[in-house]
Amino acid sequence: MAVVAISDYKFPSKSRQELYGDDQLVHLWWKGNPYFVAASCFRFPKAMPFGDLVELCKGFFSADPDLDPTAFDSVQWVIDDKPVTPDLGASLEANGVGHKSLVQFSI
Amino acid sequence: MTVPTQKPARKLTMQQRYAALTHDLDWDPTYVAEEEIYPFTTFEGIKVHDWSKWEDPFRLTVEAYNKYQAEKDRRLYAVLDGFAQSQGQLSLTEGRYMNAMKIFLQGIPSGEYQAHRNFSHLARYFNGPGARFASLCQSMDELRHAQTEIHTLSHYNKYFGGMHDWNKMSDRVWYLSVPKSFFDDAGTAGPFEWLIAIGFSFEYLLTNLLFVPFMSGAAFNGDLPTMTFGFSAQSDESRHMTLGLEGIKFMLEQDEDNLPIVQAWLDKWFWRGYRLIALVAGMMDYMLPKRVMSWKEAFELYFEEQMLNGLFKDLEYYGIKPPRHVQWAIDEKEILSHQVYWVLYQFSHAAAFTTTIPNEEDQAWLESAYPETWPVFKSVVWDKAQRVVDSGGRYFNPGLPQLCQICQIPMGFTEPGNPLVQCQRHSIYEGERYDFCSDGCQWIFDREPEKYVQAWLPVHQIYQGNCGGPTLPDVAVWYGLEPGDAGEYIGSMDHQDWLKWHASSIKEG
Repeated sequence: MAVVAISDYKFPSKSRQELYGDDQLVHLWWKGNPYFVAASCFRFPKAMPFGDLVELCKGFFSADPDLDPTAFDSVQWVIDDKPVTPDLGASLEANGVGHKSLVQFSI
Repeated sequence: MTVPTQKPARKLTMQQRYAALTHDLDWDPTYVAEEEIYPFTTFEGIKVHDWSKWEDPFRLTVEAYNKYQAEKDRRLYAVLDGFAQSQGQLSLTEGRYMNAMKIFLQGIPSGEYQAHRNFSHLARYFNGPGARFASLCQSMDELRHAQTEIHTLSHYNKYFGGMHDWNKMSDRVWYLSVPKSFFDDAGTAGPFEWLIAIGFSFEYLLTNLLFVPFMSGAAFNGDLPTMTFGFSAQSDESRHMTLGLEGIKFMLEQDEDNLPIVQAWLDKWFWRGYRLIALVAGMMDYMLPKRVMSWKEAFELYFEEQMLNGLFKDLEYYGIKPPRHVQWAIDEKEILSHQVYWVLYQFSHAAAFTTTIPNEEDQAWLESAYPETWPVFKSVVWDKAQRVVDSGGRYFNPGLPQLCQICQIPMGFTEPGNPLVQCQRHSIYEGERYDFCSDGCQWIFDREPEKYVQAWLPVHQIYQGNCGGPTLPDVAVWYGLEPGDAGEYIGSMDHQDWLKWHASSIKEG
């Protein structure tokens, strides 16, 4: 359904990928741990290796004092609702992480 | 001698007098077409056959309006003077109470002003004089409310942090984009949708849930000025409720084709308004040192009982159904405030208010108000936050949250039936992904994606470099935050001042 308006109504997204250059927004979500009240939003280069994201998670989520960072070595990653085994050396883009993708895990 | 007996002119009844003073100033245009004078009242699809059927239920004249309002203003300003002269801020229950009023000042007066502007627009552009005049009165009310709210709370700005740049903050700070985007959304709609959005959904369905907590909260916590402001606004609010109800009935009675349009607006604006006042839920249950009632009780009384079991039974006659997604709101009543305050707690390092872990007394109250859900939240999040404090730290979320594209609240609301797993919804529109906190917000987006792709989401704007710089300190400066505004309440400048004021008064006594 379209907006009912007095004239043509068409405007670009205020958060489209091109506004971030070679980067994109990525959401990281520790599913089932409400200590982080919501998923977190990051701006990452599309070319960043997935392994860097995993390393970042170990530091970032240690804001939860109960986190054992080694748990990240064996978590099941889910990208946009699809369980995946990421190639840690390949880029986010190559692993299927797109603009505003949701990357989730549970511990 | 006979004196000619002339019958004195018959005195007009109130209704005739009112008609003479208002409606008779209207005329049918002959030089130009009606559509040229009133160009905005047809494109939304609402069919109106007879504008004269819109009765202004108040029959106020400008003269009477000004007299009443001036009298109320005199009373309010007398209270404000007395409170200031007697150092009334010292008699608040606790310094942390003021955090509720900071959110009120930062979020509400700019909304009132937006409402003033849009009702002015209606006062010019509605075809019927009854509708125009009622809009004019409400427009003046909204301006008066904005002004009196600012004046009422200005006294506290001398003594507490977070109140100095409310105007700039309401444009910029992340949680204040919630009310701002709400009013932007309503104000960019057509006049009839505005009337359902603000006049009916906000002012009628949800107004008691917004006003009663703040004003009764003020009364219970020694905040005489805010309480007096509340009384001063109350008689206006009841007039606004009547205008909202008159508006929806008018649309429904004019043409049966209007029903589906009105119902869809009602569905949308119930959810928009309900999400907005989630902030009130967090404030009620966690930020008031002395509570009036819980969010859950207020929701049951003011919404389920008065609206669902009262108003909507009346509206059934027109074919109106309770708002879509209302069940979701009912299901959330036990957990809403816990989730909202948990958001505020972990992001208060970037806010113009402070938060703290509920103390023992607070926890006892939460346990009695929410026997099912409080123990769960306590064990899962608050006990951990307390452990961090006990080891000398303070938990703040280290990142920026994913925001809902519609309500713009961090996506901390959970799946129905599972209070520990956040709800994740998304839609793809023209190849781009958009995220939502709930079925309600997703439904609103899917109806009008062209509108909401433009949302100014604070987190995305920070990442685009539009908010002062890349780091949190840069953003805080751009927000207008000053030392003492943000973070933890215990040990904050407000807290230290509060202890100092009371310690010295004991010494002097």
